Amino acid sequence: MSFDHIMSVTIGGLTVGMIYALIALGYTMVYGVLKFINFAHGEVFTVGGYVAAFSLLAMGIDASTPWLKVAGAIALALVAAVTVPMALGFLIERIAYRPLRGRSRIIPLLSAIGVSIVLQQLIIIVFGPKPVTIPTLALSSASVNLFGVDVRVLALVIIAVSAALMVGLTYLVKSTRIGKAMRATSQDMEAAEMMGIDTNRTIAFTFLVGSALAGIGGLLVVMYYGSLKYDAGFLYGLKAFTSAVLGGIGNIPGAVVGAIVLGMTETYGVSVDLGFLAWFVLAGLALGIYVQMVRVPNRRLAHIAADRRTPEYERSIMNVYRLAPYHGIKTLLAERTDALLSVSAADAVRLMAGNIFLAVLATIMFINSSVRIDTRWQPVIAFVVLMVILMFRPSGILGEAVTEKV
Amino acid sequence: MAIRMKTSSGQDTAPTHGDTVVQRIASAVPGWVWWLAGIVIAAGFPLLNVIGVVETAWLRVGVVSLIFVLLSLGLNIVMGETGLLNLGYIAFFAFGAYTTALLSSPKFEIRWPFLAVIVVSTLVAMVAGFLISLPTLRLRGDYLAIVTLAFGEIVRLTIINLVPLTNGPNGITGIYSPRLFAGAKPALEGIEAWFIIDKPLEYYYLVLVCVVVLAVLLTNLKNSRIGRAWNALREDELAAISSGITAVRAKMLSVVLSAGIAGFAGSLFAYYSNVISPESFLFMQSVIVVCMVVLGGMGSIPGVMLGAVVLQALPQLIREAAGAARSDFEVYRMLIYGILIVVMVIFRPEGLLPDKIFKREAHEVDPRELEMTRQSLFDLEEGEKDLGV
Amino acid sequence: MEPVLELQDVSMSFGGLKAVDSLSFAVRENEIVSIIGPNGSGKTTTFNLISGLYEPHSGDILLKGESVAGLRPDLVHDKGISRTFQSLRLFSNMNVLENVLVGMHSVTKAGPFASMLRLPSVRREEKAMYDKAQEILGMFPGRFSGPRQLQPAYSLSYANRRRLEIARALASDPVLLLLDEPVAGMNPAESHEVMEQIKMLREKGYTILMIEHDMHVVEGVSDRVIAMDHGVKIAEGTYDEVANDPQVVEAYLGKRAADATA
Repeated sequence: MSFDHIMSVTIGGLTVGMIYALIALGYTMVYGVLKFINFAHGEVFTVGGYVAAFSLLAMGIDASTPWLKVAGAIALALVAAVTVPMALGFLIERIAYRPLRGRSRIIPLLSAIGVSIVLQQLIIIVFGPKPVTIPTLALSSASVNLFGVDVRVLALVIIAVSAALMVGLTYLVKSTRIGKAMRATSQDMEAAEMMGIDTNRTIAFTFLVGSALAGIGGLLVVMYYGSLKYDAGFLYGLKAFTSAVLGGIGNIPGAVVGAIVLGMTETYGVSVDLGFLAWFVLAGLALGIYVQMVRVPNRRLAHIAADRRTPEYERSIMNVYRLAPYHGIKTLLAERTDALLSVSAADAVRLMAGNIFLAVLATIMFINSSVRIDTRWQPVIAFVVLMVILMFRPSGILGEAVTEKV
Repeated sequence: MAIRMKTSSGQDTAPTHGDTVVQRIASAVPGWVWWLAGIVIAAGFPLLNVIGVVETAWLRVGVVSLIFVLLSLGLNIVMGETGLLNLGYIAFFAFGAYTTALLSSPKFEIRWPFLAVIVVSTLVAMVAGFLISLPTLRLRGDYLAIVTLAFGEIVRLTIINLVPLTNGPNGITGIYSPRLFAGAKPALEGIEAWFIIDKPLEYYYLVLVCVVVLAVLLTNLKNSRIGRAWNALREDELAAISSGITAVRAKMLSVVLSAGIAGFAGSLFAYYSNVISPESFLFMQSVIVVCMVVLGGMGSIPGVMLGAVVLQALPQLIREAAGAARSDFEVYRMLIYGILIVVMVIFRPEGLLPDKIFKREAHEVDPRELEMTRQSLFDLEEGEKDLGV
Repeated sequence: MEPVLELQDVSMSFGGLKAVDSLSFAVRENEIVSIIGPNGSGKTTTFNLISGLYEPHSGDILLKGESVAGLRPDLVHDKGISRTFQSLRLFSNMNVLENVLVGMHSVTKAGPFASMLRLPSVRREEKAMYDKAQEILGMFPGRFSGPRQLQPAYSLSYANRRRLEIARALASDPVLLLLDEPVAGMNPAESHEVMEQIKMLREKGYTILMIEHDMHVVEGVSDRVIAMDHGVKIAEGTYDEVANDPQVVEAYLGKRAADATA
């Protein structure tokens, strides 16, 4: 495992992660304000990419075009990739989501799925079922030498542009008037309305910003990979959503962190040997053992005052956490009618099962240390990450609880 | 703790006003007449083929439509009764289909008896449903939608990549025809050959019987304490658990049961089509089943059956009539389905043949209207101060 | 005799705020106990603790000597505590009869397969449930008779929705009935009627713990009254004892007014 390889894989992962982040921000902002998964967001991204690609094609640039003209073309493509998705996002919200606001939860989600399907078919009808491909530009093949490793300039551009946009967005949400309105709306829509905030405008604005970021993401993807397929939005959308959940949905820095973690996981997953990956699994196992043996029992002890139950009872709860398979299941079977204990024991058994799983996984990985995961499994990685995070920490890395609050 | 109040646009509280003549006549006919009519039409349809009025191709469309009826009946349990969205429903269908293909095809030279295969296929799908619901039911409903979607994609990608077991994109071919009673003997003669099911007509009646039986079973379930518990959870989860309903157990039952029905349908599908490949289990297929349930009416058993038949048979009719190429046709079909979902949830969320409880729930309330309804109906009596309790 | 419900030093806090602080009291068999107190004094939190929606941070809650503290709400209901909500939580789109039938969920047992096949045992159970529902709804004469049982709950008048919630809570034959402001929002005639019905429930042998602001009702039905303020029990006794307690007067009217009346 050479340094060069690690370096280039890291930059690759970071680039992919930044693109996920641009899309994930749209999911997370809309979720923050409306508590609703905007299923059609991935398609908005695809539209951005297609519009950008077709404007580049329309201006007839190729590898021999002078750089000034290329820059102009890219600027125009950027304008198209921002405005069209913004208009689209605005329309979607207006037509398909606003009439359904406040209805029972399944209804707006269904509408979002419908919109997503419609957009995907419209892309095929308007642009054709073949992937759109842009000519290779000098810019897209240029590379610079960074710490002795050749890195594509475009990768650095993507990282820089995304980082700048995220800083800008954070400023927008934290310090501007409309940002305050967004935060107020997400806290309590009714109260915000009573304070004179036009929530409809605020929500529309949220969709505009999210769509613009997705459109820029579309442009960057087209330039980086040179082509885009009509159904790309499905996978990108899901991965971006996974990033948002991973970081804690509704949380803007969380979406960025989650996206980078996901991008890295995906890229490392298929680019390095299992023996190397196993160390990450070991680190996760160490964290898991810490949580099981120290953190949760201590929190629980602090939570329940000593006078609540007999000391033996307390000890049995702690044993459930520390040594689930040995003592916990016995207690669980003996006292399963007691929900307090059974809930705790179920959690403990889950923690323990997770740790055992990680230990087994690490062992298998060390045994097959020279094997590498085939790239065709790459799409599965994001889905597995999504399911694992929802099982063990649905609130994400930086988020609050999302368990159904009653 | 704000209570959500909903009402329909006034139709169901005042049934004789605002309804069209058709609706009034329709509501005057007792329910069993509709059921009987439906069964007679469904059972009589193949006779048109026997006497040569319609082509066998139509019979094939009929079989697939009925398999989708099974699927939408299953999805309706989760979506309509319990109010959870499952976007990876087709994965359970795939579990059933692949289990059947592995247990009854030349792939591994296994030939289990029909009944055993169909039971095992159902059970495999139920176990998958159990495993997926275990960690997710504590989460908000829309997370379940995304997790099931992810699950559906994992299943599909695994099918494609796990070539030794599934033949990857090529799929499994040559699935043996089911025999109702004759077990695993290689060749059948005489009277035993009667019980081989290999013609569209035979499949049609086999699936039709399953549909009718399932519809009856699910109607019973809907009107039982379990069905009421599901509806209560959908309406107000806090009130439901405070009334003694164990939310996780009830939701799990609905997810597992619906997965089992999909596995059952998948098994029939594998037998019927002889060949299965990952192409039959795309995300779009899950969306199609969702669309059938939405169109017919979430929570309404006759509704989702109608929805499935309309959305599966009608496009084929149109395609035959227009003679369109397959790929173009699929694009426009999905476009229309997408539009259909949006239009339905905005303008008629209760579907074509609404379930009475869902119909009320799906519409938003206008508090003034609610007040008026209340006064007009009851407060006359409320005003009488009869204190002699 | 062992009390039906006993709270022992129960405490619960949200963040730094002590919503309920070392609360102890008991409710004996066939007794009606009212909890009174100003808004925010921890009455509804106490109900949520008893019914399992919250888990006490310390102390214990005993139902007939058996701890129910921290049990899941559905298990608390199984043990025999059922409740109504201050803000009315009916299954608004289900009809009157269905609402009551849902209340019987934990005391019925038909499984999924038996229900699908509608076995004779299921049919018998459904029949028994139906009869039971008629009996309970019959306790509210003229309110839920005949076709009205098939009306959706949202279409009922406010007072009838409150009655229906009580009927749903009664459906499982609870050991203890918790009523959260049963007459809130009713006019005097209606609240008088509900008061009579609560008295009738005691005659039928029910044990009731209720939160109520309407002092007329509290006076009319309570065997004992508990007054709370800032999460603490400040007085307990008969209605007259509590109503004249200087601390209670202070909690409701402020210190100066209390001094003036003293």
